[in-house]
Amino acid sequence: MKTARLTAIILLSATLCLLAESAGYQQDPNWKAPAEAAAKRNPLAGKPQAAAGGKKLFQRECAQCHGDEGSGLKKAADLQLPMVQAQSDGALFWKITNGNPDRGMPSFSKLPENRRWQIVMHMRELGAN
Amino acid sequence: MKNGLAFALCLLWTASGLSAQESPYVVTYDHHLEEPGNLEIEASGTLGAPRSGSFYFAPYIEVEYGVTARWTGELYLEGQATAGDSGVFTGWRLENRFRPLKREHWINPILYFEYEGLNEATRIGKEIVGNAHPRRESNAVLSKVPAHEIETKLILSSDIHDWNLAGNFIVEKNLSAAEGFEFGYAAGVSRPLGTLASGGACRWCRENFSAGVEVYGGLGGTNGFGFSQTAHYLAPVVAWQVSSNSTLKFSPGFGLTQLSNPVLLRFGYSYEIRGFGTQVAQWLGGKH
Ligand code: HEC
Repeated sequence: MKTARLTAIILLSATLCLLAESAGYQQDPNWKAPAEAAAKRNPLAGKPQAAAGGKKLFQRECAQCHGDEGSGLKKAADLQLPMVQAQSDGALFWKITNGNPDRGMPSFSKLPENRRWQIVMHMRELGAN
Repeated sequence: MKNGLAFALCLLWTASGLSAQESPYVVTYDHHLEEPGNLEIEASGTLGAPRSGSFYFAPYIEVEYGVTARWTGELYLEGQATAGDSGVFTGWRLENRFRPLKREHWINPILYFEYEGLNEATRIGKEIVGNAHPRRESNAVLSKVPAHEIETKLILSSDIHDWNLAGNFIVEKNLSAAEGFEFGYAAGVSRPLGTLASGGACRWCRENFSAGVEVYGGLGGTNGFGFSQTAHYLAPVVAWQVSSNSTLKFSPGFGLTQLSNPVLLRFGYSYEIRGFGTQVAQWLGGKH
């Protein structure tokens, strides 16, 4: 009897944990690009071939946390989600540049600006999949 | 000829071993920390030829880990060999860098705090502080004199488009000797040679190279702040990202004062293991 109750409790908490996990990613309401940054245009927009370099960089710098397809691992956001893809290129560029260190997203200001824009281009491809 | 020899030595040294960083600086720190969970192993060396005395080689190994997105920790092990003298282990260092601000700013501060369990034979020259003294004692003698030190740095760094500008102010205290605080500085400017990444893998393309110049030197101590009796260097730096996770760095430093070495050759090879923390957690049977 006691074991049955214990098993039930364990199963219940496991289910709750799983639910909590799959309830998934909640955006940080305090992590928003200022309007000026969000309005920035991608200077590489006229060069679609630059996205290939973005893919290489994404695999190298981002995939370990976001997965090869950007669909998210652990706490790292699913970058294919509409709430991510709905943001402007400038807003994504700002998030990659600044990171959100207290929630585990590092700053990538060490990458030259062009490379950060290339990554944004690749993120759009991931979103289209 | 001299540079060629150093480069060959550098390749030899690195063939045996080990790390990756975008910035080409060897002495100056910028505000870019290790990503959380990444481990970087770096094998480096400083080859010096003092004005008086024999030339020496001081190799060191660094293991750097991104503890969180705002805290990078690093362990160093170092040694030293002098021509006509002996080779000795010169101690260890435990370094921490903290990022107090959450977002990128015009100027980004980083607080640096290091504990050093060294002896007086240390010569890696990662920081040049205080006054410069020519060495007279042998390694056997110097390696018996402990130098337990606390080193702090205020790191200020700016990214202006693709340029990085960084300045470090250093304060060091030797706890093993009855002496005051010593001061030093390092500053650098650098940029990548190519800013667009190509689609395929490439080894020799411009995007894999970055270059710049550093200046560093001592600023005396509490018993006399300033430039008198100090060593200063001007050092071009170049980094080559050899593969997606390894980087080679090379920097010839030129002494600017009578008490500086005429030349200091520095090189390093780093290897980065991304997601190391997650791999270890999985290994230990953790959920993630
Ligand atoms: C060390 C793990 C890690 C790495 C590496 C990483 N990220 Fe993240 N990323 C995160 C986490 C965790 C979050 C969620 C942050 C939060 O909760 O606010 C996130 C969030 C994001 C977001 C915001 C999504 C949203 O809700 O708007 C973007 C965009 C993003 N990452 C892009 C990238 C890109 C591009 C790279 C590579 C250049 C990258 N990340 C590398 C962990 C990482």
